Amino acid sequence: MRLAYERDSAVTDASSTPAGALAAEARLHRLEAEAIFILRELAHYARPALMFSGGKDSAVLLHVAMKAFAPAKPPFALLHIDTGHNFPEVITFRDKRAVETGLPLVVRSVEDSIRRGSVRVAGESASRNGAQAVTLLEAQNELAFDVMIGGARRDEEKARAKERVFSHRDAFGAWQPRAQRPELWSLYNRHIAQGEHMRVFPLSNWTEADVWAYIAREEIELPSLYYAHEREVVRRDGLLMPVTALTPRREEEASESVVVRFRTVGDITCTCPVESDADDAWSVLLETLSASVSERGATRMDDRVNAAAMERRKLEGYF
Amino acid sequence: MDGVSFLRPVRPTAGAQVRFMTAGSVDDGKSTLIGRLLLDSLSLMQDQIGALAGEGDELDLASLTDGLEAERAQGITIDVAYRYFATPRTSFVIADAPGHEQYTRNMVTAASVSDVAVIVVDAVRFDGVALLPQTRRHAAIAALMGLELIVAVNKMDLVEWSKAKFDAICQAFRAATEALGASAIAFVPISAKAGDNVVTRGRAGWYAGPTLIEVLEATPARASRAEAPLRLPVQLVLRDGDARLYAGRLESGTVRTGDEVAVGVAAFPTKVASISVSGRTAAQALAGDSVTLTLAEERDLGPGGVIADLEVRYARRFVVDLCWLDETQWSPTRRYKLRQGTLETQALIGRVRSVRDIATFAGVEASALRLNDIASVEIATRDPLLADRYADLPGTGAFVLFDPDTHQTAAAGMIREVL
Repeated sequence: MRLAYERDSAVTDASSTPAGALAAEARLHRLEAEAIFILRELAHYARPALMFSGGKDSAVLLHVAMKAFAPAKPPFALLHIDTGHNFPEVITFRDKRAVETGLPLVVRSVEDSIRRGSVRVAGESASRNGAQAVTLLEAQNELAFDVMIGGARRDEEKARAKERVFSHRDAFGAWQPRAQRPELWSLYNRHIAQGEHMRVFPLSNWTEADVWAYIAREEIELPSLYYAHEREVVRRDGLLMPVTALTPRREEEASESVVVRFRTVGDITCTCPVESDADDAWSVLLETLSASVSERGATRMDDRVNAAAMERRKLEGYF
Repeated sequence: MDGVSFLRPVRPTAGAQVRFMTAGSVDDGKSTLIGRLLLDSLSLMQDQIGALAGEGDELDLASLTDGLEAERAQGITIDVAYRYFATPRTSFVIADAPGHEQYTRNMVTAASVSDVAVIVVDAVRFDGVALLPQTRRHAAIAALMGLELIVAVNKMDLVEWSKAKFDAICQAFRAATEALGASAIAFVPISAKAGDNVVTRGRAGWYAGPTLIEVLEATPARASRAEAPLRLPVQLVLRDGDARLYAGRLESGTVRTGDEVAVGVAAFPTKVASISVSGRTAAQALAGDSVTLTLAEERDLGPGGVIADLEVRYARRFVVDLCWLDETQWSPTRRYKLRQGTLETQALIGRVRSVRDIATFAGVEASALRLNDIASVEIATRDPLLADRYADLPGTGAFVLFDPDTHQTAAAGMIREVL
């Protein structure tokens, strides 16, 4: 803990005083207390699932969930919607955390939806982020989950900034942004009708920097690709594309080995790393705070397509 | 799927936190003001500034917060957008609330999680006499919910920074809100579009007061909830071997090991045996902390019950203020679900005493409650509620009503009197 304060002090001028460092601690404490409160609200439901991809936000969410119900276990299943386009480190990490926490892990794959014909994809290497929504709703239906808990944050994207902590989904799994229920104080409305479900976002009020500060403070383990490592990439449209079996080098392109880290981890075909030598959570936090360019749109090709790309995916049941 | 920040990430190391909402009539420039705050407080990334290019040379600041396609298509804000930014002194949470009357319930949502309301008034549209109805409605709701009010008189550049106009608007606002028992803590003449007096000082030579951001930074901290009487609504009971751990969040007060507390509606006295805050054993916990407690004696206490100080009182009949939020109007014969703290019970609205007239803020007799009505009513509940007045204990003096059939959130309620 002592170390955390010292590293806090290095982050900004404002925190060069003990009061500044304490304020940082107070901020994380407040966000954690709120997330624990929201997670405990979910004991109300019969069949909750925590959406666990192995990404940093879901790793934080799982960490807080373990605290919220300690010494008991959270009454949650872990649900992963597997696009089949994963980084292997992330899948290894996912399985490891499921074993460590002792929570049941349910994996449903986009591949199966494709086989059933409920999802059609343009080609093997097309992004499957959108298709995830279909598989997610199929899993919700099959396993009768009445609440699905996600690590999404309001600071990620404009449509997300509008979402409630308790986000009601109708029988089609659709979000109705124009008719969201009012959400007053923290007196959450948990009620749903038969066939409907709730999406709940305990980290709604966290920012990316809060997530990194919390990962550092709590020493939360993450898949190694969040930290600096050497990777073969090509430069395409101003982004670094990792060279993988699904995203091969084009003939006219030259690949190079660059020290990079990933800021987000999703479908391998549309997730790009950034150049960085940040090799621990504090260094990532420092970089995050000093960034002047780049955002979700700069590392995620799927949001670049259209200003309303996220909203449209959410309308169809995406988280 | 995980994500990175859309805006420049907020420094977790920033100082005190202020939560504010923007209110005011549609087209008064609320979203533009937020865009200006974000831009001038250096909270935007270079590429985001690039994406603000509107027509001609002017930046389209409002496009930052209007997040929904439907909103961009209609040029109005439908629902609350939450934004996070920080100055070196203060970290802010903005709830950008809609101005349109149809979406008042979303404004109420924003007010319930804010400490301050910045009420934006369009200087151009001011007719010299009265504020627009929606401005008045927002001021009324914000005051009712206990928020501090700051008035930002916007578009001052379009009235040539007329001091007379500014003074007339301040006067009209004071006159209008007197009946509410509310008063604004500051009036600031601004131009959100041009950037005057928002973060950087403006062109009005006659105005020597603080900029809007300075007023916000200096917002008096609400009286500490940690000093108030203890209220710990129990969310669930966890087990550790034979021990029962009561889990919940302190809505107000402080609790230490060894404290005498009153458990449940019967207010059984017992002692706190141990406390754990966020998974760590602690000697005390404060308002806002999520905790687990063990008690010296096992008592009949489950989810919905409350651990409180020894002076706690419960009651079944109250006079309350309601903001009706459902498109379906109130029906006298229906039992609504009522939630206070972690308790859900049933409530009947016995009598509507009055509904506030938005023009005068005066209570007028009424027998119906419709969407957006602000009313004083008498209610009776099946189970006893904490007899906490909203003005004293906002955490437990507040409640919500749910429609028992549609599950819609029907009303926001605040306890004014215990009968």
